[in-house]
Amino acid sequence: MRGRLRWMLPLAAVPFLGLLMFGLARNPDFFPTPLIGEPAPSWHLETLEGDSLSLAELRGKVVVLNFWASWCVPCRAEHGVLLETARTYPVDEVQVVGIVYDDSRRNAQRFLDQLGNTWLHVVDPGIRTAIDHGVHGVPETFFVDRGGAIGAKHIGPLTWDVVQANVDSLLASPPVTAPVP
Amino acid sequence: MNSLIGSAAVTAAWLGSGVLAVLGLVAGYRRSPELLRGAKYTATFVFAAMAVALATMEWALLTHDFSVEYVANVGSLETPPYYTAISLWSSLEGSILFWAFILAAYTALVVFVQRRSTSRLLPYALGVLGIVGLFFYGLVATVASPFGVVSPAPLNGPGPNPLLQNHPLMGLHPPLLYLGYVGMAVPFAFGIAALLSGKVDEEWIRTTRRWTVTPWAFLSLGIIAGAWWSYEVLGWGGYWAWDPVENASFLPWLTATAFLHSVMVQERRGMLKTWNLTLVIGTFLLTLFGTFLTRSGVLDSVHAFTEGFIGPLFLAFIAFVTLTSLTLIAWRADRLHSPGSLDGVISRESSFILNNLIFAAFTFTVLLGTTFPLVIEAINGDRVSVGPPYFNMVSIPLGLLLLFLMGVGPALPWRRTTGERLKRSFVRPVVVGLVVATASLALGVRSPYPIITFAFAGFVMTTIVDEFRKGISARRRISGVGFFRGFGQILTRNNRRYGGYTVHAGIVVIIVALAVSGTWRFEREATLRAGEHMVLGDYTVQFDSLWAFEEPHRVVVNSAFTASRAGRLLGTIEPRMNFYSQQPNEPIATPAVRSFIDADLYLTLMAFDQQNASHATVRVIVNPGVPWLWIGGMIIAIGAILSVAPQRHRTPAVSVFAGRATEVPKTDENSGVDAERDLEPAGATSS
Amino acid sequence: MKRSKLLWGVLGGAAVVAAIGTLLVGGLSENVVYFLTPSELVARGTEAVDQPLRLGGQVKPGSVVWDAEELDLIFAVQDSVGEIGVRYTGAQPAMFREGIGVVIEGSMQGNGVFEATNLMVKHSNEYKAPHGDSIPGTMYESIIRPEVEE
Repeated sequence: MRGRLRWMLPLAAVPFLGLLMFGLARNPDFFPTPLIGEPAPSWHLETLEGDSLSLAELRGKVVVLNFWASWCVPCRAEHGVLLETARTYPVDEVQVVGIVYDDSRRNAQRFLDQLGNTWLHVVDPGIRTAIDHGVHGVPETFFVDRGGAIGAKHIGPLTWDVVQANVDSLLASPPVTAPVP
Repeated sequence: MNSLIGSAAVTAAWLGSGVLAVLGLVAGYRRSPELLRGAKYTATFVFAAMAVALATMEWALLTHDFSVEYVANVGSLETPPYYTAISLWSSLEGSILFWAFILAAYTALVVFVQRRSTSRLLPYALGVLGIVGLFFYGLVATVASPFGVVSPAPLNGPGPNPLLQNHPLMGLHPPLLYLGYVGMAVPFAFGIAALLSGKVDEEWIRTTRRWTVTPWAFLSLGIIAGAWWSYEVLGWGGYWAWDPVENASFLPWLTATAFLHSVMVQERRGMLKTWNLTLVIGTFLLTLFGTFLTRSGVLDSVHAFTEGFIGPLFLAFIAFVTLTSLTLIAWRADRLHSPGSLDGVISRESSFILNNLIFAAFTFTVLLGTTFPLVIEAINGDRVSVGPPYFNMVSIPLGLLLLFLMGVGPALPWRRTTGERLKRSFVRPVVVGLVVATASLALGVRSPYPIITFAFAGFVMTTIVDEFRKGISARRRISGVGFFRGFGQILTRNNRRYGGYTVHAGIVVIIVALAVSGTWRFEREATLRAGEHMVLGDYTVQFDSLWAFEEPHRVVVNSAFTASRAGRLLGTIEPRMNFYSQQPNEPIATPAVRSFIDADLYLTLMAFDQQNASHATVRVIVNPGVPWLWIGGMIIAIGAILSVAPQRHRTPAVSVFAGRATEVPKTDENSGVDAERDLEPAGATSS
Repeated sequence: MKRSKLLWGVLGGAAVVAAIGTLLVGGLSENVVYFLTPSELVARGTEAVDQPLRLGGQVKPGSVVWDAEELDLIFAVQDSVGEIGVRYTGAQPAMFREGIGVVIEGSMQGNGVFEATNLMVKHSNEYKAPHGDSIPGTMYESIIRPEVEE
C-alpha cells in the first residue's frame, strides 16, 4: 500500500461503475408490443361532443391515438406536443384522436377548455378500448398507419421528436396491412 | 402557495448545504472554531428548511392541494387519511424528499450531540455531510422536485400505487429502512473526516459507535418490516424472494454488521484500520446503490420504477463518492498501518476477523448474484436472472458459519486463550448443541441443514445464557444483590455488551425460524364450492361464502372460510382481494393470516366466481416458524435499544459536577469474571 | 512463531476464499435462469429441455383452455415469429386473458410443452394507472352486497 501502486486503488471501482452505466443505458422493457404490425383493435365510440367515431372511418389517414386523462400530470406535459402535431400535419393526412381514459366527461372537457383542443376526443366507458390496446397507464400513444395497423407505440409523455419520427415514417411508407374493406 | 413555500425551503436547504460543505471543510483545515460555529448554525438552518419542506408537503397531501405536482401524482380525495399521509414515500420525488429530510435531521442531531466536542473530526464530518446533502437537496430542488406547480390544478388525483396503500405496515417499513440507509451517512462522514484530518486513530470509531448501531438497528427492523409487509400483502406466503431491491437493503446490512464487529478489534487492538474505513465507505455506497437500484430500473425488480434523470445523477454521485474515498485511502495509506498484530490463532480478534471475512464473502456473493444478470447481458446480450436457488445455496452455509461464530466469538478472550479456558467456556454449549442435534434426529428431522441449524442455535443460545449468568453472578458477588437486581444491573451498567448479546439472541431466533419455515412449509391450492372443505395436515378449511362491497377508493371481494386445527374450531378466516380504481384489472390480494405459537395458517384468495359467488379458489399455506421471525425482530430491537442507551455509571458522590459525570473512570464490573471489560473507554461516546 | 501464525491465518483465509469461490461458480452456473421469447426457445430446440427458464410473450388469442375444477390451464404463448404451448396448474392470475403479456417460469418438457411453475401477468409500473368512477364496482356488480362491512 505504500508504493505508487496505491494510487491505482480507485481504478478498482471502475469496472463496477461501468457495469452500472451499462445498466442505465439498457432498455429495461423486454417486451416489444405484440400489437406492432398487427391491425389496431377496432373501436366505435362516442366523442366528447356526443357524435360517434370509429377507427374504420379514419382509414387512409395516419392516426395518432392518444390515451389520456385529466388527472394525469404527464398528460398535461405532452398536451403542447399534441397541439403542435394537430397544427403541423394536415388533417386529411394525420388525425389525432384522444381517448379519454377513466375520467368523467366533465373533467375531461374542463381540461381541454383550459389547455386547448383542436382534435377529436372519444370516451371509453369501462376502459374497454384501452384494455384491448394493452394500455397500462396514461399517457400512452399508438401510431396507426393508413391501413389501420399499429406502426408504433409510445409509453409516457410524447415529445415532438417522437411524434415527428413516427408520423413521418408512417406517412412515407405504404400501409403495413392491406386495407380491409 | 404550498409549491412556493416548499420550493423555497428545499432551495434554501440546498444552498445552505453548499455553505455547510465549505464551512465544515475549511473549518477543519484551518482548525477554526469560528467557522465551525458557522457550520453548526448552517446545519441547523438546513434542518429547519427541510423540516418546513416536509411539513409543507404533508400539509399539501392532507389538504389535497392538487396544484402541487407530487400531490397531483399520488393523491386522491378517496384515499383514507392514513394512506394519504404516508403517500409521502409512495413515489420517487416524495421518498427523496423524505430521505433528504432524514439526512438533515441526522446532521442536526450530530451538531446537537457533539455540541461540546472539540474534536478535529467534527468540522470535517459536517463538511462531508454537507457534500452528501448538496447532492440530495439538489435532487429535491431540481430534477426530482415534488413541488412543481400544476396549473390549472386538477380536481382529483390518481391516488398512490395500490400495492403501497393496501397494508398499514407501509407506514413503517420505508421510514425504518430510510432511517437505516441515511443514518449510515454519519459514520461514513466521520470515517472520511478521519482521512481528511489525518487523524486515523480510533477516535472516529469511538465517536460513531452509536451512530452506527442506531442506523444498523433501523436497517435491521426495516428489512424485517419489509419481509413482513411482503408476507402480508403479496399473497405467495413468503417473506423473502432475493429480489434485487431486497438484496439492496440486505447488502449494506451485511457490511454494517461486519463493521460493528471489526471496529471492536480496532478499538481493542488497533488493527484493521484500512478495513474499517473500507467497510464504512462500502456501507454508505451500498445504501446509495440500493436507492439507485430502486429508483433507476437498472435491474428488473418488482419494486423498480424508472425515472429518466435520477439514474445518471445517482450513478455520477456513486462514482464521485467511490473514487474520492478510495483516493483518500490511498493518500493516507502510510498512516493506516496497524500497530497491533494477531497474537493467538484462537482469540476474540481472530474470530472477529473470520466473521468479517465471511461477511465480506456474503456481501460479495449477494452482490454478484444481484448484478450477474447485468454482467451477462453486457457480455453477450442474453437476458438472465439469478433465482433464489443460487442465493439460498450460498447464503445458508455462510449463515451457518456466522451462526457458529456468534457462539464462539463472545466466549473467547482477547489475544490468546488456553485449553483449560476453552473447555470451561465451551463444554456446556457443545453438549447442548449435540443434545439438540440428537433430539432433532430422534424427532424425525432428516435434512442436514435444519439439524445443523438447530444444533448451532442450541450452542449459541447456551453461550449467550452463560454470558448472562456469569455477568449476573459477578454482580451478585460484587454488590451482593439478588438475581433480578443483578440482571437489571448488568443490563444498565454494561448495556453495550448485553444489548449485543440480546441482539444475537434475536438473530438466533430468526435463523431458527427461517430454517423451520423453509423446511416444513406446505401448501395446497383448490377450488371449493360453498360448503366444501379441504384438508391440509391437521388443518381443515371450509369455504362458506363470498361477497363484494364498495369502499370509496376500492372494491373489496371478501371470502369467508371456516378453519379448524386438529378438530378445534378456529373461527372464520377472511382473505380478500382488493380492486383499486387505479388498477381495476390487477387486484391486490390481502391474505388472511392466523398465527399460532408454532405456525401461521395463511389463506390467499386466488380466484372467484364473478357471477354468483358460488365457488372460490384458495391457496392454503401452513407456514411453521414464521411468527418467530417477527418476534426475533422485536428481540433485536430491544437489544439494539439497550446497547445504544446511555450507560448508567455508578456515580460516586464526589463526582457530580454537572455534565462531567461521564468522565468519571468506569469501574470494572466484570473483573471477577473474565479479564474482559466493556470495550468502551469511559466518556468516549457518552457525549 | 509469529510467522507460522500468520501462515495459518493466510491458509485459513485462502481456504475460506477457495470454498466460497467454488460455491459461487457452481451456484451461479447452475442457477442462472435464461429469459427467452417463444421464438428464441423454439430456436434452441431440444437443447432447452428441462432447464429452468423464464419465457416472455403474449397469450395467443383463441388458445386458452381452462379447467376451473382441476385448476388446469393450457394456452399458447407467442411473439411475432414463434409460439409455444404452455401448461400450468393453479389459479389463473386475475388479469390473465387472451392477448396479454405474460412471464412464465418453468421448463420445457421433452414433449414440446412448456410446463409452467409460475405464471405472471406482465404489467408496467411506469406510469400511474387510472382512477375514477369505480370501474371495479361495475365489474363485480352481481356479487356486491349493499352493506359496507368492516
